[in-house]
Amino acid sequence: MNAAAATARRPWVRIVLAAVVAIVLIVAPLALPAFANQTLVRIGVYAVAVLGLNIVMGYTGQVNLGQIFFVGLGAYVTAYGVNHGWNILLVFVAACAIAGVVGLLVALAAARLGGLAIAMVTIALPIVGVPLAKRLSEFTGGSQGISARFTDAPDWSGLANDQWQFYIVLVVTAGAFLLARSLVRGKYGRAFAAVRENEAVAASMGISPYRTKVLAFTIASIFGGASGFLYLAAVQYTSPETLSFGHSISLLAAMVIGGAGSIAGSLLGGAYYVFVPQLTNAIDPNLTTVSQGAILLAVLFLLPGGLVSIPRVVRRLVRRTGTRGSATTRGSTAGPAADTTQQTAPAHHPVPDAAPEGHEQTERQDGP
Amino acid sequence: MTLLELTDVTASYGPVQVLDGVSLSVPDGGSVGILGANGAGKTTTLRAISGSVRTGGQIRFDGRDIRGRRPDQVAALGIAHVPEGRGTLGQLSVRENLMVGAYLRKDRKAIAGDLDYCLDLFPQLQDRVVSRAAALSGGEQQMLAVGRAFMAKPKLLLLDEASLGLAPSTAKAVYQAIRRLRLESGIAMLVVEQNANLAFSLVDTATVLETGRNVLTGTSAELKGMDAIRRAYLGG
Amino acid sequence: MGTFIQLVVDGLATGSIYAALALAIVLVNQATGLINFAQGGMAVLSAYIAYVFVQLGLPLILAILISIVFSFLFGALVERFLIRRFERGDPDTAVVVTIGLLTLVTGISAVLWGYNNLGFPSLFPLTSVEILGAVVSVRSLATAVTIVVIMVVLQLLFLRTKLGLALRAVADNPASAAFSGLPVGRLLMVGWGLAATLGAIAGVLVAPQLTLTPGMLDTALVYALAAVILGGLTSPIGCVVAASAIGVLENLVAVYIPLIGHDLKIAVPFALIFVILIVRPQGLFGRKVVVRV
Repeated sequence: MNAAAATARRPWVRIVLAAVVAIVLIVAPLALPAFANQTLVRIGVYAVAVLGLNIVMGYTGQVNLGQIFFVGLGAYVTAYGVNHGWNILLVFVAACAIAGVVGLLVALAAARLGGLAIAMVTIALPIVGVPLAKRLSEFTGGSQGISARFTDAPDWSGLANDQWQFYIVLVVTAGAFLLARSLVRGKYGRAFAAVRENEAVAASMGISPYRTKVLAFTIASIFGGASGFLYLAAVQYTSPETLSFGHSISLLAAMVIGGAGSIAGSLLGGAYYVFVPQLTNAIDPNLTTVSQGAILLAVLFLLPGGLVSIPRVVRRLVRRTGTRGSATTRGSTAGPAADTTQQTAPAHHPVPDAAPEGHEQTERQDGP
Repeated sequence: MTLLELTDVTASYGPVQVLDGVSLSVPDGGSVGILGANGAGKTTTLRAISGSVRTGGQIRFDGRDIRGRRPDQVAALGIAHVPEGRGTLGQLSVRENLMVGAYLRKDRKAIAGDLDYCLDLFPQLQDRVVSRAAALSGGEQQMLAVGRAFMAKPKLLLLDEASLGLAPSTAKAVYQAIRRLRLESGIAMLVVEQNANLAFSLVDTATVLETGRNVLTGTSAELKGMDAIRRAYLGG
Repeated sequence: MGTFIQLVVDGLATGSIYAALALAIVLVNQATGLINFAQGGMAVLSAYIAYVFVQLGLPLILAILISIVFSFLFGALVERFLIRRFERGDPDTAVVVTIGLLTLVTGISAVLWGYNNLGFPSLFPLTSVEILGAVVSVRSLATAVTIVVIMVVLQLLFLRTKLGLALRAVADNPASAAFSGLPVGRLLMVGWGLAATLGAIAGVLVAPQLTLTPGMLDTALVYALAAVILGGLTSPIGCVVAASAIGVLENLVAVYIPLIGHDLKIAVPFALIFVILIVRPQGLFGRKVVVRV
């Protein structure tokens, strides 16, 4: 156990590992059947959305119930751009940028409120979004939705459609993940964590909670927009149903189940989003909602760090039961992979004297 | 008759051990002080008694082992804890704070009588009876906290740092009122206090804690006379 | 003028439903410091329970009473077994738990009764009465009045009874209240039970109009949250006023501003919030919150 951990810490091992992963990702679609590629593509789509949600919610601690709205927005912008013959790169940028601007506006207002206001306000996004999408039919195609095909493989590539889509999604997803990773590890990541832990303390350290929250939320919406672009690339159709409230909750559940506050967990979250509802729908569609709720609660109670924390939890259990009396308990096995297994257990606040909201504490001191 | 007996009590907050074997006893109607510097474990001792922290060792009240009981259960046995920081119910009025103190009692007439006695004991509260408690000054809130504890008609009063944050004259007034309360009601008291002078004005015996252990115990007279005490706590 | 009065009365009726949910949310927040996003879903489940007994042939009022008892117990048990663990931690995690609860409860309703819209009998006659030359629905009037009466009763409970005092004390400072012997855990259960009951009453009163379906109160919850934001978490009266205003406003806007119409009227309260909160972050009625570090 120790030897393996030590090995994993050496830099060249990580580079080799990364190279192997990259090669596998590039070669895989050529070898896998179309269905597998399409599934992986969809995982990528939602992983990016979950990643965005993780940045504002897992890392910065702001409950965001409207992420799917930005996904839908990105998809609609993409469809519009494609159908009007825009350059594909411009479409991508537009999807991200428009989603980002809307997110910024929402955040500017919502982040002013303390506590759970962002949750309470963002719940409105999908709920307002659906009728809005139906109403603005010149842009959105109304209730019918809108289709756009733009990811057919070009002849020069010699690839099948599903393989071409795979590469597009791979590029954007990899880019998103690398961007997120560097964000989270840098000073912004520290700001996020500080605000999540305790806003007042963060403020005293010179970090503006308001600005940090706005930044996190805007980034999340940009990722949402990118995810929308990918969504349209994969599914080639979008409708008001895409940004419904139910999907919003599913996305949130996927984030928690995959692993809140974890980059790798977002990937697992994307996978969860694609596989599990599919599975439950196959058994019995009515069962889907119940099982979603049950799984989410189970994870919150039993595995708060999400699926991504399983290795860590298992190691801890093994250590506790296996090394009784043995001298080899040294060495926490969290190695360098610590950033991807970031735990986000509920931050425990000390004695609950101050209620999180609603109480004004004023104590006048006696004069001499 | 020993009312409260602590034997080798330990307590920890997670991995941090704060009490490392504290022993003391309070006789019926007696008044005992706990002195010591910051972080010595004084507040934790009181919290151990009232069940707010996990403990080891023995805690016997009225002959019964009370270790491991919840705070509301301990209160029901007749121990009233005035916490550090006063624990004022800020959104409730002064009168309501006092009535909360009498929550476990059923004798309405007596409760009304005790309420009047409280307001007599702490006349400053009389004018603020319907004010929101959070609007009171520090000293008034301290008086309110003591009053609320009294309203439970406890056998034992746990007083935690009653002088904290108060101007000297206010702290003195508070202690004077508590002294009067003690004389007129005969309630036993366990008093945690950093200000040794104030403590000695109220208690018959005291124990000094250092890093979670007793280092000295004696009557107020004995302790006041010791050089070590004088230097450390009485500024002499 | 007649239409206007009709719209206002209907708006007050729907507003009272939002107000009931908003009060339930405020009650839970004051007691346990978190927002219960499942408040509407729990209310719908209670309405389904009433439905079951109506189907079994019981008189409606009896079915409603059973549903009220059920909702109280349900709320209490949810607090004890689901929420208690998360009360002292990060409120955002607790919120996610309530969202999980919302999903679970909606799912249970769906499994047991499907997604079809079920008819629910109205407690009040579906007749109209004339007021100031307008034809006003009796049901709307009665709904609004009933909920107002219940809210007044609740206020009296909180302000004038020993239980109410205890609930407020626990909401204010649970650790300190325990020192006076208050059974904090049990009181929290009562608080949640009362909130759930409020929701259940709102649910059975509005079900005839909206028809019973698992997502029946999803939109109402959103309006209730808007009312809470506008009214401030610390001000029950503010929430009630805000909820009524939202109910009336959405009706008026839907009819008098066809550009927005019925489908987009849900945007109105949030546009309002957007504007107001830029100017006054604590809501219209709330007090500024000072948090101790």
